[in-house]
Amino acid sequence: MQIRLERVGHAYDDFEVMRDITLDIPAGKIVCIVGPSGCGKSTLLRFIGGLERPKSGRVLQIGAPPTASLNPLTYIFQDFALLPWRSVAGNISLVLEDHGIRGAKAKAIIDDVLARTKLTDFAKALPKQLSGGMKQRVAIARALAVNPAVMLMDEPLSALDSQTRELLMDDLIGLWARTPFTAVYVTHNLAEAVRLGHSIVVLSRRPGQIREVMHLETPLEDRHFGDADLEAKQKYLWQLMRDEARAADGELLDV
Amino acid sequence: MSDTLPAATAKAVSFRGGGFAPRPMRWVGVFVFITLIALAEWGTQTGWISSLTLPKPSDVLATFVELYESGLLFKHLAPSLSRLAVGATMGALTGVAVGIMIGLFSHVRAGLVPLVAAIFPIPKIALLPLFVIWFGIGEGSKYALIAFGTFTPTVVATYGAVDNVDRSLIRMGQSFGLSWTSIVRKIVLPGAMPGILSGLRISLAIAIILLVAAEMLGAQYGIGAYILEAGSLYDLERLFAGVVILSLLGVLVSAVIGFLERYLLGWRT
Amino acid sequence: MIDLNRRKALKLLGGTAVASTLAAPAIAQNRAIKIGALPFTSHAASFIALERGYFGDAGLDVELVFFQAAQPMAVAIASGDIDYAVTAMSGGLISLAQRGAVKVIGGALSEEPGIDGQKILASDAAFQAGLTTPAALGGKRFGMTTAGSSFHYMGSKIAAAEGVDLSFIPLQKVGAIVGALKSGQIDAWSIVPHIAKPLAGSGAVHIIGSVADYLPNYQVTTVFTSSENARDERGMTESFLGGFSKGVTDYNTTMIDQADGQAGIDQMVDLIHKYVYTDRPRDKAAPSIINGTMRLNEGAALNVTSIQDQLAWFQSQDLVDADITMETILDGSYVDSITA
Repeated sequence: MQIRLERVGHAYDDFEVMRDITLDIPAGKIVCIVGPSGCGKSTLLRFIGGLERPKSGRVLQIGAPPTASLNPLTYIFQDFALLPWRSVAGNISLVLEDHGIRGAKAKAIIDDVLARTKLTDFAKALPKQLSGGMKQRVAIARALAVNPAVMLMDEPLSALDSQTRELLMDDLIGLWARTPFTAVYVTHNLAEAVRLGHSIVVLSRRPGQIREVMHLETPLEDRHFGDADLEAKQKYLWQLMRDEARAADGELLDV
Repeated sequence: MSDTLPAATAKAVSFRGGGFAPRPMRWVGVFVFITLIALAEWGTQTGWISSLTLPKPSDVLATFVELYESGLLFKHLAPSLSRLAVGATMGALTGVAVGIMIGLFSHVRAGLVPLVAAIFPIPKIALLPLFVIWFGIGEGSKYALIAFGTFTPTVVATYGAVDNVDRSLIRMGQSFGLSWTSIVRKIVLPGAMPGILSGLRISLAIAIILLVAAEMLGAQYGIGAYILEAGSLYDLERLFAGVVILSLLGVLVSAVIGFLERYLLGWRT
Repeated sequence: MIDLNRRKALKLLGGTAVASTLAAPAIAQNRAIKIGALPFTSHAASFIALERGYFGDAGLDVELVFFQAAQPMAVAIASGDIDYAVTAMSGGLISLAQRGAVKVIGGALSEEPGIDGQKILASDAAFQAGLTTPAALGGKRFGMTTAGSSFHYMGSKIAAAEGVDLSFIPLQKVGAIVGALKSGQIDAWSIVPHIAKPLAGSGAVHIIGSVADYLPNYQVTTVFTSSENARDERGMTESFLGGFSKGVTDYNTTMIDQADGQAGIDQMVDLIHKYVYTDRPRDKAAPSIINGTMRLNEGAALNVTSIQDQLAWFQSQDLVDADITMETILDGSYVDSITA
């Protein structure tokens, strides 16, 4: 299944925040969206997942999702969004229950996704007992449980410290390497973008428009921390964005 | 570096970070109680406090024992407890239900919040004669009074609690395609539970207060009736024995809610 | 000057009992005192004594303090906020006396055979179902303000005389009892005639008997004061009783004996109307005031037999301590005792 954005634009009252965005998200690839704050990256992600409606243009699903997919468009949130009153296994079970998956069948899925995210020993733990990195791994496990066609990741690593971030990036690359998934990855962190993106979409400041789409050919598993080529790409992106970011920083919010 | 500094200028930095952090001190409360009771006993024994001002704590205890031994204690307690249980349960359940409706539906909120605000400040005791006409002088009016008094604070606490449920959790539920009922049952309700329980703490205390009012009209037995009778007879020993029972009831209710909080809200950090 | 007035007044009183007990000259000289009262006809003696200057003649500067119920009035005496008051004998009053706070020093309202006294009422529903005489009270719900009130005593004595059992429903206030009786939430009640008669007139309730038939010399209300006043303020207390007794005599002479005919009654109603039923026009208040007429004891004499009976009943019901004696409650040194 693919996602296509056609001339998507958005405005709050007369205040235009996004203009004319046309973009293809190919199956099995990770597309990173970067841009200065307020450019509408997260809003764009909500359009893709159907949590918000754009004022103009449309978001298309091309091709049917795989039949095994319980929730084709699945989010991973910056703040994890785990139910604090449910255990790790309970949080995953939550998204299965509505599909009538209970008991042994649910347990098999939960065990599988916990194993994939290296959380097997923490099935009974409550979120309050987990570190930030572990919480995000639970959220990833929960997303994997519904077998998504497209993962919509909204700054998933921004609430974590830099060491945990590195570890989780390795985890995500490992997961993708085993079973490639389609993902839209929104971030303001350029290092994440050059590590995880098959392509990187750079948005301009408000109203957000596509400035450039960069394609990275190096396979994900060959990209490493401190890689000179990646550093160069990151530097190029930063130069592209710096002036936009500075101008965006000078603007008033919610004018 | 340090050895080059003259000794006279070296001074320990004074600590200024203490306080503002309550620590649990279990026995201080008990000590305050015992001291006050002992003071009252000493004062009444020596005549420094007249018997018109305060009864002897030992006499109150004796009255209590007498009440227990005569079997009257349970004759008074049973109807009161059933009134509390029935009235408070009715009030709390409808309060939680209405509170959740207000929290979830904008139309209900627009329609009922002003109504709840209007009936909240009405002293429910003033409506007792009306309840007697509506529900009869028997148990009906007593249940109604307690239920009504419990209802309003529960509604306010509940919809406040629903409003405070983390919206990102609800959005998460929607993003995973959870049904509306699943979101309410599995996300909104548990998320609102801390607020609902702390609201219940207040509404159940109000229920105990209203118990006395409810037993003003037509109750032959009941802790409230016992207290009112003692008051009209100016029998301070019985009055205090009754008041102590109410206090114990309050402590008991608070302990039950504390237990519920530990059991239901263990997930809180 | 004052002495002269007092003697004149005593002569006018004519009651030898009063003369003997109140012969001591008043020490009071414009003493400011507070008298507690309820806006009921049964408190008429205080109103008359104030309006006609009998208290002033006795050297007292009286301020009336109005209450809505007898209970807070008794507590106000105990706390020293008022000096004298008239109210029904109740468990609360006896308890306060036991605690050394108040003393009964005289009698006021009495049931008297032949005079229209307190009535026994039945609700319409109960009346239609056969509660037409007090003998049919068995198993019925009898209204009272609180346990240990005069209603409790009356109901209990009536039931005992008829050999039946009643259940007593506490309703705190007279108004609540009236409402409960009208709507049939309770079956029966007993109350002073000026409340009973208009109620029966409306058809919602029925008069099924008189309290006087069961408690012929029932001392309904008593005059009481704080123990300090009874013990240490003899002069002031005697002055008060003197003025009060003159009010009583005027009231009995005019309203019961009708010595001054209709003109006297009209004049008296005018006076009482200043304090009672003030929210009604005079022509509507007058029947109620006249209906409420009951004998007040001359010279504030006290029916100790009745008091003894009441104390014994309160004790038998475990409403007051069993070791309370008449001496605890009474200071009999001020007025004559009636034993009947």
